[in-house]
Amino acid sequence: MRYLGYLGVAAVWAYRLTLAPFLGGQCKYHPSCSQYAIDAFKEFGLFKGTILAGWRLLRCNPWSRGGVDYAHDQTVFS
Amino acid sequence: MIVAGILTPLEDLLRHVLNGLHSIGLPWAWAIVALTIIVRMLLVPLTVRQIHSMQNMQAHAPRMKEIQRKYKGDRQKLNEELMKFYKENNINPAASCLPLLAQIPVFIGLFYTLRNFSKHPPPGDLSWLHFVPNIADKASAHWSGWILIVIYVASQLASTYFMSGTMQQSQRVLMMILPFAFIPFIIHFPTGLVLYWMTTNLWTVGQGLITRRLIPKVAAPSLPTRRSSRTPAKEEAPAPATAAAAAPATNPNPSSQPRRVKRKKKQARR
Repeated sequence: MRYLGYLGVAAVWAYRLTLAPFLGGQCKYHPSCSQYAIDAFKEFGLFKGTILAGWRLLRCNPWSRGGVDYAHDQTVFS
Repeated sequence: MIVAGILTPLEDLLRHVLNGLHSIGLPWAWAIVALTIIVRMLLVPLTVRQIHSMQNMQAHAPRMKEIQRKYKGDRQKLNEELMKFYKENNINPAASCLPLLAQIPVFIGLFYTLRNFSKHPPPGDLSWLHFVPNIADKASAHWSGWILIVIYVASQLASTYFMSGTMQQSQRVLMMILPFAFIPFIIHFPTGLVLYWMTTNLWTVGQGLITRRLIPKVAAPSLPTRRSSRTPAKEEAPAPATAAAAAPATNPNPSSQPRRVKRKKKQARR
């Protein structure tokens, strides 16, 4: 895992500790968006991870079909 | 600017509730605790749904993956099959993360309301439980603030423990470090805000204790489907993330099961 990626993982954890208990993330994807973000930061570093996580959040809307979607299988940076 | 525009009416509303709680006879410190509990209580249905949907998704992930692989070329067919699968397995296809982000201002609003209140409190009794002299002071101003911070860290650790059922080891370590990393910020918060944070964490812990008891009952019926779906997941040589995510799915209570295995081994040796 790249070092800067840790920053991203820490940010997701800060979200999980502060806001997530209130929001109660209900994701239509597996793994959940926050887990996807953590995986993406670990595998692709801070910059690409942020883009992948942002793109996943945008896809996680009421009109998408959801399903299984691992950060490892991303097609944005191929 | 935009954020402030959204937050002001929210802050006003929360402030009114806080004032209302005080006017019915609660001291200010208890009014903060009560407001926090009210907000969390209103969110219970959401939390329960979240836990159920997470378990559901985890349990059905291998089957979903299979459907996605099968109809990879045909988007429309894939859509139909997935929707059918959702319907059969009670997965809510309308659930999604993006709309939830819209709720973030509410909780930032709650945070700001309590911070403003704690910084500029109205006249009245500002002590709590006879050992906190003034909830408007910084937490570091009095030894009682440190006690609250210790409770905060303990409750934060406990509450993340309940959220971390399926976490990997490295994430567990991070989650144990983070509450301590928050301390330097939190000692500069007004004590009233620490009180709020402590309350909301303790609520999470209580909720975790209760749902943890309820979880095996919910997870049990879907156990056979999970077992049968393990084989195809292995066949297609899953990514590391797949394996990590699939493992806890087969094991609804990861902390208790390995222990049981160990005990059995010991008994066999005897």
